[in-house]
Amino acid sequence: MVKHLVRTGLAAVSAAMLTGSGWVVPAYGADTVAVALSTTLSGSIAEVGRTGLRGIRMALDRINAQGGLLGKQVRLVSADDGAFPANGVSNVRHMILADKAVAIFGPATSAVGTAVETVAGQYRLPVFFHMANDIQITTSNFTKYAFELVPNTVMEPRAIAYYFAENVAPKAGGKKIQIATITPNYSYGRDTVEVFLKTLKELKVNFEVVAQEFPQLGATDYTSYISALLAAHPNYVFAAIFGGDLITFTKQAQGFNFFKQTKIVGFYDQVPLRVLGQDSPDGAIGWNRAPFWAESGPGFKEFLADYRAKFHDAPSAWAITGYSAAQVWAYGVRKAGSFDADKVVGALSGATVPTIRGEITLRACDHQAEVPEFIGRVSAQIDPQYGQPIYSQTVAIAASKTMLTCAQAKSRQP
Amino acid sequence: MGQTGAPNNKSQLCAPALRVTPARVGPAQAADPVADPAQQAADPSAPPLGAPPSNPRWARQDAPVVAPMPAAWSAGHALAMLGLSTAAALAASYMLSPVWLLELQHVAALALFAVATNLLVGYGGLVSFGQAAYYGLGAYTIALAWLHFKAPFWPAFIATPLVGALSAFMVGLVALRTRKLYFALLTLAFAQLFYTVAQQQYELTNGATGIFGVGVPAALMDPQIGFLFVFAAAALAMLALWKITVSPFGLTLRAIRENRARAQSLGIDVFRHELLAFVLAGAFSALAGGLFIVHDQSAYPELLDWTKSGEPIFMLVLGGMNSFLGPALGALVYQISHEVIVQHLRDWQLVLGLVVLAIVLFMPDGIVGLFSAERWRRWLARPRSVGGGET
Amino acid sequence: MSVDSLVVELLSAMTTAGSLFIIAAGLTLVFGAMRIANIAHGSFYMYGAFLVSSIVSSFGGTAFWFSLAVAPMIVAAIGIVVEVTVLRRVYDKDHLTQLLATYALFLILADLGLRFWGAQSRAVPAPAILSGSVRLGVASFPIYDLFVVGAAIAVGASLWALLRFTLLGWRILAAVEDAEMLAAKGTNVRLLYTTVFALGAFLAGFGGAVIAPLQSIDTGLDASIIVAAFIVVVIGGLGSVAGAAVGAVIVGLFEALGILWTPSWAPAYIYLAMIVVLQLRPSGLFGAAETT
Repeated sequence: MVKHLVRTGLAAVSAAMLTGSGWVVPAYGADTVAVALSTTLSGSIAEVGRTGLRGIRMALDRINAQGGLLGKQVRLVSADDGAFPANGVSNVRHMILADKAVAIFGPATSAVGTAVETVAGQYRLPVFFHMANDIQITTSNFTKYAFELVPNTVMEPRAIAYYFAENVAPKAGGKKIQIATITPNYSYGRDTVEVFLKTLKELKVNFEVVAQEFPQLGATDYTSYISALLAAHPNYVFAAIFGGDLITFTKQAQGFNFFKQTKIVGFYDQVPLRVLGQDSPDGAIGWNRAPFWAESGPGFKEFLADYRAKFHDAPSAWAITGYSAAQVWAYGVRKAGSFDADKVVGALSGATVPTIRGEITLRACDHQAEVPEFIGRVSAQIDPQYGQPIYSQTVAIAASKTMLTCAQAKSRQP
Repeated sequence: MGQTGAPNNKSQLCAPALRVTPARVGPAQAADPVADPAQQAADPSAPPLGAPPSNPRWARQDAPVVAPMPAAWSAGHALAMLGLSTAAALAASYMLSPVWLLELQHVAALALFAVATNLLVGYGGLVSFGQAAYYGLGAYTIALAWLHFKAPFWPAFIATPLVGALSAFMVGLVALRTRKLYFALLTLAFAQLFYTVAQQQYELTNGATGIFGVGVPAALMDPQIGFLFVFAAAALAMLALWKITVSPFGLTLRAIRENRARAQSLGIDVFRHELLAFVLAGAFSALAGGLFIVHDQSAYPELLDWTKSGEPIFMLVLGGMNSFLGPALGALVYQISHEVIVQHLRDWQLVLGLVVLAIVLFMPDGIVGLFSAERWRRWLARPRSVGGGET
Repeated sequence: MSVDSLVVELLSAMTTAGSLFIIAAGLTLVFGAMRIANIAHGSFYMYGAFLVSSIVSSFGGTAFWFSLAVAPMIVAAIGIVVEVTVLRRVYDKDHLTQLLATYALFLILADLGLRFWGAQSRAVPAPAILSGSVRLGVASFPIYDLFVVGAAIAVGASLWALLRFTLLGWRILAAVEDAEMLAAKGTNVRLLYTTVFALGAFLAGFGGAVIAPLQSIDTGLDASIIVAAFIVVVIGGLGSVAGAAVGAVIVGLFEALGILWTPSWAPAYIYLAMIVVLQLRPSGLFGAAETT
């Protein structure tokens, strides 16, 4: 027993020493300041996290090249959360305490986002969500330290519904439009489908829901869902499917002549269009939070050229929103004249910030950025300028039309 | 397709018979769990719980290996250990920063998870690849009670081991009818079944998003108090588990692992013993899941996923499955190095894979094994035996 | 539900079954001959798909046919390296050690794959001759899916012929029965194991290659397939190629019917199928009982 205890104890001490030695944080001078990003860098949505990371890094590199912020160079500390909320939380905690991070950039998935927001609230540090967009972030889970920089899960489906009511429904000739929906079983998909249908109803669109499918997140085989959808003979299929899942769904649907039998409304942003290329569903209605072909803020052209030169690819929406998120934080710091969280939050709340996406107003009541959602028609043509398909017409649906009112948002906040 | 000639069966078929022979002196026993010092504490002549009378014969046969010790010895040591660890935890709670205390909360929960899993893997020889089911169920028990009924924390927390035991009982009834790899994969199938329920039954569980901000008593949210609570709960649970492993039941379990056919021929009800082990492991894993809620206040489907089931296995192999606290040590090393590596090296899976490979190939007793006196003795003795040619 | 759409559902089930069978066949073969439950089989599958995408993007769409042969061969070569450097050392160890060794390989190959191919999602267009669909009454069915079923049948037939008519096949079957006896009779069992493992890796790579035009190819492919492949193998009985075929059909049907009848429970069906089968036959449909 004693031997056993000693043995375990010895092992524990040396293990602690071993792991502890890895904890020596490289010394950075007093002229640097750290910001934290824990996001998904491995697994099936690695591309989302990695392109977001690129955007933030490019913005910070530029700031550093121009002399830094308040005389300090900015260092980005990043780590992989594997889409696992507990990992996101402990990553961010370590970055706050070990690396002395002064601001946090949000993760890729909403689940990790909600968890990270809670940490940011506990440690009183500003957090900027440029990917995760759950409505909870600005309502039931709201903390004044959180800023949502992309359309949330109320704004996005409402914008799609507005587009649908204005551009699609009038062409139905008064006939009832048959709609089917498909989305994985998680709150982004569920909320998006629910709000989309609810808004169509509010807009007095004549429609009925003929089928609703909820495949597993990350499913690899959609053929049975596709034939079930087709068997319901919908005019439109609303697909709140994201990234790789949407690519797989589209490729498998193609073989069924799906896009000749029905029309799809889906989350076709830069990544699926690049990957699908000429196999993109021509004429589909797509939505996108920051399409590189439609953005036109000051400095955007330069960013686009830089990005393409560096990565031989067009920037994803996440790279663009990541870049603007870093700009928002930098603006807050300069305006506050300090890295202090409360001062930065105070400077940003209600402010209008110039970014590569144009001027972004951060509404004071819920810190939701007043950014538009972009909706358009997917074209299967490879755009000669960008080497990938884009939308043939892109409409920006203004945030003023889709946001919760401040009273509504406030009533849902704690 | 018979498999008598299969390479791995060979060793399994003949090794156990050798291990129970009285000639147990020499380095070979270093890796032998039966010689685990923890066992010294048990009174070998005590009749095993619920085992047929023929069983003590096995225990007696093993007796010459280690000197029998009075029961008081073990109780004294357990108390000493408890006191020591309490002191260490108290000291830690004042010395460490909140971030480390929060990290150690997670480590304590995972340590219990790994030690509970080792009751099956190390002591029972039952490789379950689905223990995340019970860990996740423990977390979901509290989270769902909070989500749907706004239930207070404590009753839900106390219910976690019961839920774990009950579900493990039902799974065990089915899974334990199969053996070895089939058993591993059947337990995995059950865990995946729970996983799909958590992921797909959106109205019940919030689907793939999970449940966040689960209500936990305000005091436990304080990193220091939370740490002390999680640590104490995990330590008490481990103490109970240790008692179980040195009980007649624990000894019988090991006897079954060593030689199943022999145990059967001695009249031991193998199935019932294994089922009880499975239920106990499930109960303690679920309790660990309940402790995870104290740490993280959230439950999500990834807690039930097969990769999560792999974690306690990695931990127990890392720390050393042939010692009682080895898996807990493995949990500490695993979790802390995960923190360090994801932040500084990026290739976490690569490093973990290489370390696990190194361990299974070169140091089967894990980290604890590195510190075994026998190992060093053997190592020191090596040059002499080459030159002198003793034996 | 019309007859046409039922036929389409059944054909979809067969497509699922076909792709699962190609992967499961290699897994079960390796297990049968070597008693190794190879979790890294999923990695080989992912590598197969990635290699096809690399080859097609460098040499154009017509290189697809060429890649269908080359990608699995490269994967088989990786398999040989893995077998010689790692697996050889664990044959005489217990099954926990073996499982952990292959799990470790799975993790290592995942990060190496991420390093080599990057995080970008990729897609491979199906060759022109296989794109489009055939009409079945009012419904249409993808030609490529029929190709997958055909490929699975071809794999099944080739394996059958290999095991039935060749010396290698005879040796593999003998190894499944009694490797020691085989060694005693002078067969180089080491070499045989390497060959079988390479064949298993080849099949996994081929599965990934065949499935490449149907999926987004990204770094999560390995984990997405391995559990389903194991379930197919276990239902059929570890080590039985015929069992893998039956298991694949059962899993395909369960999934398709699950989606038709109770969509939200559909993903649970394959696990239920496995649990039920193992209750009736604890060693799978065509497997031999595990010895203690």
